[in-house]
Amino acid sequence: MSLLARPLTARGRLLRCLAPALVLSVLCGHPSAFAADVPAVRRTQEYDLKAVFLYQFAHFVEWPARTFPNQHTPITIGVLGEDPFGDGLDEIVANEAVGGRKLIVRRYRTVDQVDTCHVLFICASEAGRMIPILARLKGRSVLTVGETQDFVAQNGIVGFTVARNRLKLRINLAAADTARLTISSKLLRQAEIVHPQRGQG
Amino acid sequence: MNSPRTTIQRKLVLAIMMTSTTVLVLTGAVLVAREAVSLRSLIHTELSTRAGILAANSTAALAFRNPEDARQVLAALRTDPSVVAAALYDDRNSLFATYPDGAAPPLVPRAPGTPGSVSDKEHLAVYQRVVEGGNRLGLLYIKTDLRELEQGVRDHALVVLCAVLGSIGVAFALSTWLQRGIAGPVRALAEAARNVSERKDYSIRAETKSDDELGVLAGAFNTMLAEIQERDAALRASEGSLRQLNAGLEQRVAVRTAELETSNRELEAFSYSVSHDLRAPLRAIDGFSKALLEDCGEALGETGARHLDRVRTAARQMGLLIDDLLNLARLSRTEMRRGPVDLAAVGKEIADTLTQAQPERQVSFVVPPRLTAEGDSQLLRVVLDNLLRNAWKFTSKKPAARIELGQTGTNGKTVFFVADDGAGFDMAHADLLFAPFQRLHRQSDFEGTGVGLATVQRIIHRHGGRLWAEGAVGTGATFYFTLWENGS
Repeated sequence: MSLLARPLTARGRLLRCLAPALVLSVLCGHPSAFAADVPAVRRTQEYDLKAVFLYQFAHFVEWPARTFPNQHTPITIGVLGEDPFGDGLDEIVANEAVGGRKLIVRRYRTVDQVDTCHVLFICASEAGRMIPILARLKGRSVLTVGETQDFVAQNGIVGFTVARNRLKLRINLAAADTARLTISSKLLRQAEIVHPQRGQG
Repeated sequence: MNSPRTTIQRKLVLAIMMTSTTVLVLTGAVLVAREAVSLRSLIHTELSTRAGILAANSTAALAFRNPEDARQVLAALRTDPSVVAAALYDDRNSLFATYPDGAAPPLVPRAPGTPGSVSDKEHLAVYQRVVEGGNRLGLLYIKTDLRELEQGVRDHALVVLCAVLGSIGVAFALSTWLQRGIAGPVRALAEAARNVSERKDYSIRAETKSDDELGVLAGAFNTMLAEIQERDAALRASEGSLRQLNAGLEQRVAVRTAELETSNRELEAFSYSVSHDLRAPLRAIDGFSKALLEDCGEALGETGARHLDRVRTAARQMGLLIDDLLNLARLSRTEMRRGPVDLAAVGKEIADTLTQAQPERQVSFVVPPRLTAEGDSQLLRVVLDNLLRNAWKFTSKKPAARIELGQTGTNGKTVFFVADDGAGFDMAHADLLFAPFQRLHRQSDFEGTGVGLATVQRIIHRHGGRLWAEGAVGTGATFYFTLWENGS
């Protein structure tokens, strides 16, 4: 209802509206309306939901003020590696704003390209280079999000996992502290808090 | 506590009770109504606050599609039994989580309404937007039972009712106690007034304990009583003296009357004896005049005989006068014997006597066959004798006269009359007719002593009647008389 009032692209609106339903249909693996090309469709739907989550992080995380040179500096959502979202992420953040700041999507081939970035999704394609990438980003106020198995253990901040047919969150609070990010307790309530052993990564 | 007895007591208590009861009931109603309104607004505020907190707590659950967490957030409502149901709707307006866990329509609406509150008689519901940083995530619905409100209002109303009833009781006791200050003096005043009017005792005084208007009233009442008492005493005193005066007067009248009667009797006795004693010398004068005429007639000569004749006439005249006087005096002394009298018969006898005495006169007597009256027959005979003789006398100069005895009726009363067509009299002197020794004609014209009509009047008066005359010079006279004008 409230979202319908906003100017959204048809697909963006559809995605945001259907996202909860997608959770089940995507993750349960049982046939849905998109059954024609089941694996492809399922994969698209999963990433649409992940894209929505990336957008929502902007609401529940606070960045240090210095990451925003001025009051119009947009919140940047970056994608590092082989982008699995297609146009989904762009459509979701189009015309959206958080605290008066617009949202933009940037895509990076290598970690060195990452400049001003607030949320960085590190794609599965980067699984092999995960430790150096995260080490490279250490000390920067970037909310790193990954979907690989050991992402949080490797000092990534937020990890997507799938459990009991649902997309779940794991959060490394120590890594968030290191990045000087404040994660809302409301968001923490939705996530599993992980404490990686010291010295690891 | 006396039960109200007098009207004023009852009225006072009633007035106070009506006023206080009305005020108390109105105040109570206002209190209960206010309580209901404020309770309702309190419940609304509480519900809105709670909805706001829940909405704030459920933003992340909605944002990150976590119905479990949403249910946990809603489960916090368990602490408040008045919350009947709650639900979270996502941005597609479909049910996301419900309270109690597993609640389904129609306990919660299938689709949410507009933000704000909805209420019916038993429930109050609030729709609250779930917003995080301007990002609208969904809608929260929370519905509470108003039984708590109803119960609260009922409890409050019960307390107020008890307070009102208690206050009414206290007001009744107080008014019953306080009205004595007014009704007591009024009752005492009324009591005093009743005693005064019943016993006519003006020495009673009302109590004047209070110094308010009632005290003033009692004081004025007492002043009035004192004045009445004073006047009453004065009236009694003057009444007594008046009675005394009256008694004195009556006594004096009685004494005077007795004196008068005595002197009257003495006078009558005197005049009777005088008249009687006068007859002896008169008889001597007449007798010796006659003897002188018979024995010494020749010696006297013609002139002497004529003088002697005149002496004898005068002596006879005087004898008649004495007879009349004696008759008049006797009238006062003789006792009246009342009975029916036929005046017509008496009149005829007298007329016959008169006609025989002077058979040469042409006089026609008109007398009805019967003329019944009531009275003393002797005295009434004297009346008729005098009146008819009068008529006979005053018609003597007419060649043919007419004398009538009869009765006429005026106003249902019988009036007897004797009418003649003789010399008559001047009405200007009518009042002299019945006085003794008063005559309207010269002795030379008509003989008479002047005592006859006075005698008639006295008899008529003794018969309780009236005597009057009408006439004119030359046309005759009519004498009217009535008997027993005032009944017997």
